[in-house]
Amino acid sequence: MSQSKKHLDFELNLIPFIDLLSTCICFLLLTAVWLNVGSMNVKQAVGGQPVAETPKKPTLWVFLGDKGDMTLETRDAQTLPVNMRKLKLAAAADGKTNLLQLAAQLDLMKKAEPELKTALIQPRAQTSYEDIIDLMDQFKKSGMGDLGVVPL
Amino acid sequence: MIKQNVIANTALDSPIANASFLNPKGKRWKKSLAADLLLTALIDAFSILVIFLLMNFSSNGEILFMKKDMELPRAARGDSLDRNPVIKIEEGKVFLEEKMLTAEGLIQELLELRKAFRASHPAGEEMPTTITVQADRRTKYEALNSIVLACAHAGFSDLKFAVIMK
Repeated sequence: MSQSKKHLDFELNLIPFIDLLSTCICFLLLTAVWLNVGSMNVKQAVGGQPVAETPKKPTLWVFLGDKGDMTLETRDAQTLPVNMRKLKLAAAADGKTNLLQLAAQLDLMKKAEPELKTALIQPRAQTSYEDIIDLMDQFKKSGMGDLGVVPL
Repeated sequence: MIKQNVIANTALDSPIANASFLNPKGKRWKKSLAADLLLTALIDAFSILVIFLLMNFSSNGEILFMKKDMELPRAARGDSLDRNPVIKIEEGKVFLEEKMLTAEGLIQELLELRKAFRASHPAGEEMPTTITVQADRRTKYEALNSIVLACAHAGFSDLKFAVIMK
């Protein structure tokens, strides 16, 4: 029975497989996007519906100073202690906004007023875009997702 | 039969084992100079590379086109970037989708954009009020202010500032 001795092993031709993989790697390397671009979403503070129709919710206004200082003013926050409603934060040692101090202050505010989720930023003409984004990033880290930027 | 195939010649009788000085398995004095390639390891490496690159592959294509000297600010808590009309500030000039404009021209162009959207969507669908803003991290706010105002005038209330994710 010579038919029963037919060998079942076969050799796989690996060369086309390697060719295919090499082509795939070249294509994917050429089309790869290495920079992960995202976005910081902002609602505009000015415009939209009339003030009377806007439901009042606790809002933190952030006025940026020329030398990295900032003033935090909370409006329509009923449960927030009066001494926390208007605060001035000095600049950090490098002359930039003091994000650590801001984070600590925001934590205290959020404990006193959990509904505080909106922050409106009023930059100066000379405030750099990077500083505004850093500030927004800090607000998001502190759980304040509704951010706005006020025109000059 | 199996001794004649490629695997038997490469994996079972490896050239390293044959060439070994301490315990040679092959014929000691007939050392071959042509090294056999271990294809299994190569295919493994290729497969891992392909899987890694496929995971990073973006099917959306490039949303933003940046010049070499433009540096976007960095943020850790950014959201994903969708395809919206892009306003770009480059060297103090304002561009809407690669078209250079003045501040007044920008409002007009944004209004035209809305009009064109309404004309192409007769069912009454409203245009999304989202605009992507792309600017260098060193840009001053006075330059961005005109864009913020123009967007407010044209009814685009949601701004998406493009950032590089940390």
